[in-house]
Amino acid sequence: MQILIILLQIVILLAIVLLHVAYTTYFERKVIGHMQVRLGPMTVGWHGLLQPIADGIKSFFKEDIIPEQADKPLFLLAPVICLVTMLASLAVLPFAKGWVLADINIGLLFIFAMSSLASYGIILAGWASNSKYTFLGGMRSMAQVISYEIPMGMSLIGVMMLSGSLNLTEIVNSQGGSLFSIYLFPQIIGFFVFFVAMLAETNRVPFDLPEAETELVSGYITEYSGMRYAMFFMAEYIGMMVMASIGTVCFLGGWNGPFPIPFFPPFWFILKVYGFLFLFIWIRATLPRYRYDQLMELGWKLLIPLALLNIFLTGLFKAFF
Amino acid sequence: MNVQYKPKRNLLGTIFQVEILQGMALTLRKLFSPPITRQYPEEKPPMYPGFRGQHALVRDPLTQESKCIGCMRCATICPSRCIHIRCEKDTRGKEVLQSYSIEALRCVFCGFCVEVCPVGAITMTEVFEYASYDRESLYFNKDALLKNWDKFLDESGHGEDYVNPFWRPRGLPEAELPAAQRMKVPEDWTIAGQFIGTNLRSPKQKITDTHTEEDHA
Repeated sequence: MQILIILLQIVILLAIVLLHVAYTTYFERKVIGHMQVRLGPMTVGWHGLLQPIADGIKSFFKEDIIPEQADKPLFLLAPVICLVTMLASLAVLPFAKGWVLADINIGLLFIFAMSSLASYGIILAGWASNSKYTFLGGMRSMAQVISYEIPMGMSLIGVMMLSGSLNLTEIVNSQGGSLFSIYLFPQIIGFFVFFVAMLAETNRVPFDLPEAETELVSGYITEYSGMRYAMFFMAEYIGMMVMASIGTVCFLGGWNGPFPIPFFPPFWFILKVYGFLFLFIWIRATLPRYRYDQLMELGWKLLIPLALLNIFLTGLFKAFF
Repeated sequence: MNVQYKPKRNLLGTIFQVEILQGMALTLRKLFSPPITRQYPEEKPPMYPGFRGQHALVRDPLTQESKCIGCMRCATICPSRCIHIRCEKDTRGKEVLQSYSIEALRCVFCGFCVEVCPVGAITMTEVFEYASYDRESLYFNKDALLKNWDKFLDESGHGEDYVNPFWRPRGLPEAELPAAQRMKVPEDWTIAGQFIGTNLRSPKQKITDTHTEEDHA
């Protein structure tokens, strides 16, 4: 019985998240369109509201092309790795008090592990497609992940030190309910490092070098088509949502808001995640792509020292107050 | 070469990444500005009087036929040689138009044929949506050109004696124009008004219509 209930919860969560993925693409196209003084999708449904559904149907029925020279098992496996790891990290996210599928004590570590695994999917996709563009995309992704995992992990060490736990629910609880007790203010350096690393980790502009359209066609997904392409796409957007949730949980106080919403406790959590998603899209509409060496320089020469400084300052703070 | 670099930003500017914030402010401002997209098939573009669209032969309100006299001026001036005319002398020795055709696919839409026509027979309408899947339907013969004119009048709602001041050559005084091109133009369509950049010239150089109007009177 317990298992059945959990299965039901998983199905509901998956349905909601996938619907969110679909409409995040719509939201992104609309927002970027208006920021570029265009309209965005307008034809399918009222103001293009059914566009993501049409896109989903289209990619579902498109031909699934496997290149002749591709490493077939890996080629088929890569998008699955990407999507499954991203979906798995949804399990530990606390959407509200008690609204979590697996309330494990290593929640934060689990998310790190899963987001690192997702980059295996990207690297394997780049390798298995056996094309120069995908290969370069995969290599870039590898280098980027190595450079940005470290500052990302270290930026959250400050949060771990303050809350004394890796359990995401615990982290939210230790921030308390008021605006001024959230970790954004004591961990402002950590938040900055986390935010930049989050953009790099999800391969978003200005760090979208693995799929740089101008240089690499579409990077590691060049050879993919149809549903497998859509799986990479879903993985990217779920990754965005997971990272936004981590940011919300660790720095913005999770589901706590100015006042509790009856019947729908995750209201504030979802609002904060939407805020993050808007920020992602806003940045995409504004900034150009980093050059590759600048990306490395930023990761190793700026973010890692900053994250270390943040740990040091947090330690001092803990020791003296 | 002297390159003007932006002033070096100070420490605060570096910490808060002022340029990025400025860019973000710009995109956020534009998010709430009205989009400039024109939803084309539903929303037509505004049409300006000098537009050179689909060719048409004016249907004479008196004879219900083409006004063309077969002088061959349009076929002669056409840079892409896309106008083909054949005429024969009738019993009284008057040239009668046998066939008139325009290959719209070869046309460069310069409008010379319209400007040079002494009787205002050939025009370029404001119709521009006549793309086709075959070449034959873009090879306009006389009937097709007359039909184009009817279609243009239907769509635009102009009367059958419609003329457009842009169909006469620019910069010539009225007296030097053929009779048919001294057309009933609106008051504001002076010759000076047809020059581009008239307002930029010195007053001495300005061309006015006054003396030609006196000549007419």
